[in-house]
Amino acid sequence: MSEAPKDAPFQAVQVDALVILKIARHCSSTFPTVATGSLVGMDQNGTLEITNTFAFPTVDNSASDNTHQNDATNAAAAAPRAKANITYQGEMIRHLKEVNVDANNVGWYTSATMGNFVNLAFIENQFHYQKDNEKTIALVYDTSRSSQGTLALKAYRLTNLFMTVYKEGKFTTESLQKSKLSFRDILQEYPLNVYNSHLLTSFLHQLPSPAVAAEAKEPTLSELNNDRIKAPLYPSIDNLDLSVDPFLEKTCDLLLESIESHYVDLNNFQFYQRQLAREQTKITQWQAKRKAENAQRTLAKQAPLPEDEWQRLFKLPQEPSRLEGMLNAKQVEQYSKQVDGFTANISAKMFAVRENLLPQ
Amino acid sequence: MAAATERFLHLARPLAHTNIGLQTNIAPLSVQIQPQAVLSILDHAVRRDVRENSQSTRVIGALVGTRSEDGTEVEVRSCFAIPHTEEEDQVEVDVEYQKNMLALVLKASPRESLLGWYTTSHELNSFSALIQNFFAAPDTGTFPHPAIHLTISTEPGKDIETRCYISAPVAVNAERAAESCLFIQVPHKMLYGDAEKSALEAVASARDLESRSAPLVSDIESLGRSIEQTIGLLDRVSEWVNGVLDEDEEPNNALAQYLLSALSLAPKVDASQIEHDFNNHIQDVLMVSYLANTIRTQVDLSQRLATANLVSNEKEEGKGDGEKGGQRGNKRGGRGGGRSGGQQREPREPREPTE
Repeated sequence: MSEAPKDAPFQAVQVDALVILKIARHCSSTFPTVATGSLVGMDQNGTLEITNTFAFPTVDNSASDNTHQNDATNAAAAAPRAKANITYQGEMIRHLKEVNVDANNVGWYTSATMGNFVNLAFIENQFHYQKDNEKTIALVYDTSRSSQGTLALKAYRLTNLFMTVYKEGKFTTESLQKSKLSFRDILQEYPLNVYNSHLLTSFLHQLPSPAVAAEAKEPTLSELNNDRIKAPLYPSIDNLDLSVDPFLEKTCDLLLESIESHYVDLNNFQFYQRQLAREQTKITQWQAKRKAENAQRTLAKQAPLPEDEWQRLFKLPQEPSRLEGMLNAKQVEQYSKQVDGFTANISAKMFAVRENLLPQ
Repeated sequence: MAAATERFLHLARPLAHTNIGLQTNIAPLSVQIQPQAVLSILDHAVRRDVRENSQSTRVIGALVGTRSEDGTEVEVRSCFAIPHTEEEDQVEVDVEYQKNMLALVLKASPRESLLGWYTTSHELNSFSALIQNFFAAPDTGTFPHPAIHLTISTEPGKDIETRCYISAPVAVNAERAAESCLFIQVPHKMLYGDAEKSALEAVASARDLESRSAPLVSDIESLGRSIEQTIGLLDRVSEWVNGVLDEDEEPNNALAQYLLSALSLAPKVDASQIEHDFNNHIQDVLMVSYLANTIRTQVDLSQRLATANLVSNEKEEGKGDGEKGGQRGNKRGGRGGGRSGGQQREPREPREPTE
């Protein structure tokens, strides 16, 4: 579990059980489309408490049925910034305030598939929230990983350094060298805690729980077969599941995607380099020409022509933003971390299975 | 679920006054409740007003969800709170609030609709009837479908029980028709799908702790816990079987048969086949992991080289040249896969003997 940095406005994030369930429900019901919503809560003694949440309206694309599916995903990912949703959020919070829910917006949540959330839309959303109120957080619920047994919910915030750089909006090589910003410094993960109210605790004790030791009744076989003992919620045995291939397949797909976008980025940059080199040769040629001309003019006792006219005549190409590349790198890092975790997990399980089936 | 009612006597559903000639469905109705709705109600119960009047100890709110096509199954997906005040002889529900909030909630989930309402005590009184009639009315409520009334007891120290009702109008006389109705209990159960299971597990992990809060753990930790749990269960079973063998415990035919059929589920496979499959899979896993890490290193390197100041001595010549140098390095970093592997090897060493 990662540690929050010292300069952060809060040290830990505490999530109410209600919020977790609501997010899980919303995200899995819209899967594979991205689901987003708003979080409300309050900040207390260095802990950000998230106590309630509500979903943002889904994007209505019935009017444009023939649009690409990508468009719908993009629109859904951009939902937290959409103007209509800002109004919606304000309205909703006002209503929630009347029934004593904490009426402060503390961030937003989004769903992801296998950790593929690091993209421009995510950054822009979080920036949108964080620029107004630095005590805001982005929760990422990983739908596909959560269905494999363990809840995959993470809390992220943009680092202060990244905020400053992003505000300037300049991601050129030079500015990155100056600010020493690397892709590792974009997002900061915060430790998450789940919190239950007293009432909920008592409710949870009524849900299927480990069987009590003193079982007096003598069951019959048909009873045993019909009334399956309900597995306890915690610790669950779902994560002993042994499926390997879907995860690997998906990860490979995602990695390939990342490599592709890395190459696109690289090609863009190379194109820019060539363009720049060409322009610069032209400028040097022009300057040499102008110099020669001026030399002749001085010989002919004429006033020299200005030598800095090239700045008007030639336009240097704009350097492409480095941000995409950085995000891609961050994304790849996220994938590989995920794979590492999975490898640790699955190899343990596989060795267990082998030992079990082939006793030495 | 505490109040899961599997054996339920369906009374004939009373007909609503069908003076308009609408066909009402009298098939049995069952209600499914999703856990987040219950949690939402409990949260609301915790947040009730205690300041002004202790008259009303309950809170009310609306249930939102979906109906099956024939209307016999109702799924409560979410709910929202409605402010209300209750005094000796009158009850006030913020109708305007209910209307606005419903519009807001439905905007986010257009496929759902208003189903009924909940309250946090089991008491059914004339106020309940009044509110129930409001929710079942044609213009403000669920008509022609019956309105669901869900009661959840939230008394501290007692079990949380849920009950579910629909209603029928009873005519005492015309003046009192608005505040009287017949509540009929209907079966309900709590459902949670695979999606909520992992969430519920995380929530339940804080169940037995004094602080009522628990950190979310990583995959490997929860795997460890699950394995411990399984080992514990296996130990208990084998202890019992040993007890029976030693004649300390009373043998039970049914249990033993059950165990035997469970054990016979273990697949019988050839040893070499297992070895083969095992090696194949573990190689796949390690390969993907290795590739992922290699790609990460490559991209990392490429990023570093892109911004690194490689040509400091040529710096005076201008920014453009400096960048060109950086880019050339960048390209080299991107293609020269073999050489940068050395850096990569390090974190993977512990895993290598397994290959």
